[in-house]
Amino acid sequence: MAEVLEKKESAELFGKKERKLLSDPMNDDNPITVQILGVCSALAVTSMVKPALIMAVAVTLVTGFSNLVISLMRKGIPKQIRMIVQLVVIAFLVTIVEQVLKAYNYPVWKQLSVFIGLIITNCIVMGRLEAYAMGNPPWRSFLDGLGNGAGYGAILIALAVIREFFGRGAIAGFKIIGPTDEFLVNTSSSWLLSWYQPNGLMVLPTSAIFLVGIIIWIQRSRNRKLIDIS
Amino acid sequence: MYSNRYITIYTLIMTLIVAIGLALAVIGLKPFHDAAEAVYKKRDLLGSIKDQLGQDLDKMSDEQVLDLFNKNVEQVVINAEGTPVDGVSAESIDLAVEERKPEAERRYPIFVYKGEKGKVYLMAVRGNGLWDKIWAYVAMKDDMNTIVGTSFGHAAETPGLGAEIKDNPNFGKQFVGKKIFTNEGDYVSVKVIKGGAKDPEHEVDGISGATITSVGVSDMMQTGLAVYLPYLESQKK
Amino acid sequence: MDNLLNIFIKSAFVENMVLSYFIGMCSFLAVSKTVKTAIGLGAAVIFVLALTVPINWIISELVLGPNGIFKTDLTFLRFILFIASIAASVQLVEMAVEKYSPSLYNALGIFLPLITVNCAILGAALFMVARSYNFSESVVYGVGSGIGWALAIVAMAAIREKIRYSDVPAPLRGLGITFILTGLMGLAFMALMGINPAKYM
Repeated sequence: MAEVLEKKESAELFGKKERKLLSDPMNDDNPITVQILGVCSALAVTSMVKPALIMAVAVTLVTGFSNLVISLMRKGIPKQIRMIVQLVVIAFLVTIVEQVLKAYNYPVWKQLSVFIGLIITNCIVMGRLEAYAMGNPPWRSFLDGLGNGAGYGAILIALAVIREFFGRGAIAGFKIIGPTDEFLVNTSSSWLLSWYQPNGLMVLPTSAIFLVGIIIWIQRSRNRKLIDIS
Repeated sequence: MYSNRYITIYTLIMTLIVAIGLALAVIGLKPFHDAAEAVYKKRDLLGSIKDQLGQDLDKMSDEQVLDLFNKNVEQVVINAEGTPVDGVSAESIDLAVEERKPEAERRYPIFVYKGEKGKVYLMAVRGNGLWDKIWAYVAMKDDMNTIVGTSFGHAAETPGLGAEIKDNPNFGKQFVGKKIFTNEGDYVSVKVIKGGAKDPEHEVDGISGATITSVGVSDMMQTGLAVYLPYLESQKK
Repeated sequence: MDNLLNIFIKSAFVENMVLSYFIGMCSFLAVSKTVKTAIGLGAAVIFVLALTVPINWIISELVLGPNGIFKTDLTFLRFILFIASIAASVQLVEMAVEKYSPSLYNALGIFLPLITVNCAILGAALFMVARSYNFSESVVYGVGSGIGWALAIVAMAAIREKIRYSDVPAPLRGLGITFILTGLMGLAFMALMGINPAKYM
């Protein structure tokens, strides 16, 4: 008897619908490539893996918890000041995330500087609040927020891996390919990997734009129903 | 529709909760912020004299860095004439603030590191790069002439080009062993030359594709170090 | 004076908000389908930036800073107060425009609420703090970056109107090609980098 009860409860926590909330944004409903939300801050922080990873975690936490909070409050929010209430909740969460990051990893905090603040106006957060959390129960809203944050983070990290690998010949700071000493003379210790000349374009923010364009191209070639017919 | 009274009360309660929540979070995290900031600054400073430390800076724990700094570093602040000022710690001097003051009122920080290999003088310089400010710590041997290390920083130089002054350790390494005075005793500082340095004592290679940042570093080394000359002169005797 | 002109040219062209930092992309991508709407949104952004950057300067210096009215460092409230002041001024502008110039309201009206969540507005305020501008500099910076943003979106809309007649591969149509175009425009704007107008005066 107890077993059955437990099963029923877990079905409510992670049923088919709930899993879909988490997995859809990873692919067919990706916030960046399909919903065109939250592109702004995506591009400036993806030249290396480490800041991109931290940004991804920060955005996921903010979308998840702001969805949760707004969903809990959704019945009491006065219509006239809905937007300001949402913004205050988001700004509150972002400030907390910023303060924790500043205490926990000061160098990365310095590196991300204004882009942490820009999570507030990241359209993903606001977009999910309007589209989902205002009309759905807290637990599902929370999952929806986490899913969308993670979908956003996945693109961010994919971009960062590509850009760091081709632009610096490294992943997350570990040198893999290319001359170990690209500044003055080529003094690579391993001849096998030293032939690669790092691509300077990949380090510039512009390359992220091209890469997103190409990711969209690939995704829409594989999934024809996403094609823009207008 | 909600009544105005409901909205006002709602707003007030929400503001109160948010303000208290944030204030608590900030008060709780403040000691961590201060500690992190202090360690960050000190690591940056000591980074310019890595090979003078006798141990690997990257592997040192935060406590070890603070301990090393407190034991071995003496702080001096000089005014625009080069005479030491009492009652201010060099750490509290921010060149970004100083450069907004009139020239005669500016103060400059010097950190004196006493290690096994003798005294090293660390001086902060600041100048203009391509997009925004650039800055550096320059470490000088106690002959007041030979540079033993540098650590560069920048606000917004182009990644892969101008940003290499910070990202590529080999740029800073070039300055080691360079001299700021000629044999005749004239001040020339160290110049960054595009397309290959010729003078082994006063020139280093620029970064290809980052001409303006290279010129900026040149200017910064020239004018930035000049303000410390009277002090260096007084320490020689 | 030199300094102000320098900040203006830098913020409008050399360090264009969209094309060199890629900030404010969401509405840039969504509302750049026709030139007419792009001009409307561009004008609204100029107006709001010119208003909110100085307002946020006052908030950050006189209220939050250690030399402000409370004499304590309240910078942790920066995000909340910035976004609240932006939302409030956008709302006020909307009401004022609606009352005094219904024709302008019809042209701008639908864009104004969108602007609150445009990253460029908050981004400009945060950059203004990060670069420690003074009051007059922040006014010029607000106007300059607004003009830069408007310029970029109008140019993009003009290109998108033309590209409708080109044979773009189907999966790349719409969003995909817009990204690639933005990238190309960004590369073109990189040619402006290093220009220091103060040098020529």
